[in-house]
Amino acid sequence: MKFLKQHYYIIAGLLLITACKPDIKTPKPTNGAADFSRYISIGNSLTAGYADGGLYLAGQMNSYPSIVAKQMQTVGGGVFNQPLFNSDQANGSGYLQLAGFSAAGSPNLTPVTSNLAVRGQIAVPGFGNVTLYTKYTGDIENYGVPGIKLLQITYAPYGNLNGFYERLLPQDAPNNTMPYLAFITAKPFTFFSNWLGNNDALAYATSGGAGDVLTDPNTFAALDNLLIGTLTAKGAKGVVATVPDVTSIPYFNTVTVGAIVAGVQQANPSVKGIYINALVSGTTYAPRLATASDLIVLTFPTSKIGTPVTTPFGPLPYGLTPYTPVDNQYVLDENEVALTRNHVIAFNSTIKSVAAAHGLAVFDAYTFLNNVKQYGLVVDGVGFNSGYISGGIFSLDGVHLTPRGYAIVANQFIDAINAKYGSNIPETNVAAYPGVKFP
Amino acid sequence: MKKYLLLVLALMPVLVFAQGFQVNLEGEKQIGMGHTGTGTLQDGASVFFNPGAVAMLPENYVQAGISPLVFMSEFNPSNSNATFRTANKIATPFTFYGVWGPKNSFWKFGLGIYTPFGGLTDWGDSWQGKYALESLDLKTIFFQPTLSVKLTDYLSIGAGFVYNHADIDLHQAIPISNSAGADGQGHLSGTGKGYGWNAGIFFKTLSGVTIGLSHRSGVSTSFNGNAMFSVAPSVQGNFPSPNTFTSKVPLPSTNSVGIGLYPSPNWTIAIDANEVNWDVFKNLSFTYAQKSSTINTTVLPQNYEQAYTLRAGAEYRGCPKLALRFGGGYATAAAPADFVSPQVPDANRVYFTGGIGYKIASHLNVDASFEFEHLLARQTTNAYTQLSGTYETNVYIPGISLSYHW
Repeated sequence: MKFLKQHYYIIAGLLLITACKPDIKTPKPTNGAADFSRYISIGNSLTAGYADGGLYLAGQMNSYPSIVAKQMQTVGGGVFNQPLFNSDQANGSGYLQLAGFSAAGSPNLTPVTSNLAVRGQIAVPGFGNVTLYTKYTGDIENYGVPGIKLLQITYAPYGNLNGFYERLLPQDAPNNTMPYLAFITAKPFTFFSNWLGNNDALAYATSGGAGDVLTDPNTFAALDNLLIGTLTAKGAKGVVATVPDVTSIPYFNTVTVGAIVAGVQQANPSVKGIYINALVSGTTYAPRLATASDLIVLTFPTSKIGTPVTTPFGPLPYGLTPYTPVDNQYVLDENEVALTRNHVIAFNSTIKSVAAAHGLAVFDAYTFLNNVKQYGLVVDGVGFNSGYISGGIFSLDGVHLTPRGYAIVANQFIDAINAKYGSNIPETNVAAYPGVKFP
Repeated sequence: MKKYLLLVLALMPVLVFAQGFQVNLEGEKQIGMGHTGTGTLQDGASVFFNPGAVAMLPENYVQAGISPLVFMSEFNPSNSNATFRTANKIATPFTFYGVWGPKNSFWKFGLGIYTPFGGLTDWGDSWQGKYALESLDLKTIFFQPTLSVKLTDYLSIGAGFVYNHADIDLHQAIPISNSAGADGQGHLSGTGKGYGWNAGIFFKTLSGVTIGLSHRSGVSTSFNGNAMFSVAPSVQGNFPSPNTFTSKVPLPSTNSVGIGLYPSPNWTIAIDANEVNWDVFKNLSFTYAQKSSTINTTVLPQNYEQAYTLRAGAEYRGCPKLALRFGGGYATAAAPADFVSPQVPDANRVYFTGGIGYKIASHLNVDASFEFEHLLARQTTNAYTQLSGTYETNVYIPGISLSYHW
């Protein structure tokens, strides 16, 4: 019986072990050489959490800086206030949602127009109409302003020209005189992220090269030096991101010349192609047949092709003759693409050299998003690419990201920060964020 | 509007399942002795461990046992301090053996029913790897009639035929959000069957040491079953459902060698070495009856490698009615580092076992065992899912069996 007794002890011991789960020793979060106690984010629509063609509460909640800030809180990060729309005006500026697909597979987008935060509109002489939104009066750490260019950070009247900026300022338009740079640096901070510069190229590109101009690279360099110099003047550390190749986004790569021509040829096999008004040099444009190197914008109403247009030679089909080329605003032609790309490359060279001079971390969004386009990306069992809707990263506007896309970008920022400052901010769980919502 | 835009969903709902999912629970006496049994004679479980030894058994046996197990796995994603754990579900490997032959005959017939492969992992629907797996329940039941013949007093051989009946049930999230932001779901359930054989040789040496050699063949198991995909209605057309699938899973062959040592009348010491030929598991394919651009035939490389185990155990009989057993072993992983998946987070493993046998009546024995198995922490990035992180697993397996012998 001695042995039986002994066995009872063994049984008891084994039962105790049964309670033990495996316990992986996870790496301890540390802040390294950086202080995250007040982190501010500077940037444009991507920073604000803009998605699906609008700024709205659900998008703001999933902005990449808010994700980064939440992860920073494990290593001493402080509160991160965003200028959120309140819940009864949750749809903010309004946005697009997917209502379904046509039989042929084309997405059917409908605007959301209820529960907006629009408070009115003012006409600014010499500029146009500016939509005004419900003011936000609380503390702000996310200074992302949709539409802002680096070019505009020192422009005092800017608070009267951009409704998304105006809503953050105490004064009503047209009485604002606070430049963006002064606004973001009014309160002390310890860490910043900066992702300005996209609109210095994107606004030109999305307007087909017709409605805006590219920022001069020398002006860009001067302003970037001023911005980073000001942000780091009191010892704050930070991370900056490069400007993506704006011509690689779904906005320019979904509706293609080839697809349009193939569609027209189904009805009329004699059609050779579509005519566009293309940049020759300087400001000279001339009509020519479009090639695969010419980018058509996502919003081009393709049903216009072939509809009669009144000309001095009588009615001619839209887009199908040199006398009726597709309007400039719908096409970023080959020369405009090259101009845009060269500017982005120049901007990024500036961004990287200024960051290096100030010892800042860099997230190379240009390289990252180009790699996604070229090779795709797989994260936790989900395959992503830069396709429109199907790619999983870009939202319904073909320019901005889905919450899942912002989470991927947030992890890229975190990796860049960790690599530079020896910190160990944990990455977020990308699978916890939704992609495009399908009805 | 954009009538020339066609949408092709290019997401990745590939079904990957894998691993060193061999379950080594084929007899309570043998579990107690560290899963040894190729080179020793204990009871009817020799049908599994070494068909060649069955004819040497001194008695006839009818026995049944069960080893409910809890597989507790934890995952820590790379560059994160988050951890995710499996639910504590209980799998139930079982055994049944019958061995019969006329008294003092040169032959015996055996029947074994046992569950040599399987897995039960449930990570839930909100963990980081949900698009790789939410839950898997894989069961195999082998039916093995066996004939064993004693050629001399010192040498016997035997062989058996194996029929495998298998069940699979797998849940996986699909990365398509519906209007409420919730994932789609994929669910595969089906049954499989396969055939194999096994054979063994058993020697009693003049010095008293016993030696066994056995081979269990591979069992290529063909599954077919139903596939259900539930996604947002507007893209349901890309996921034909209900659907059916077929799949082939090659279960590996195993070569074993074992010896039994008897240093005193009270002691039995057993040592086994096994080679599990997981390298047959090169690919896993799924073929769907209704295909679409998204749901299509998938062939997934697994690139498994041969795995080895070394096992040792001992039994002590201090008094006639009571046996105490203990043992342990070490097993190498079958999955290479870039093919480890949450289905069964394979890794090198160590295990320790203990057991007790008690003679309730002259023909009736009860045997209990307990095993603690630890899969060493393993850092991995899956080549398919890019799910990257560290797995660590503990397995707890109590077991009990009754055997009637005459």
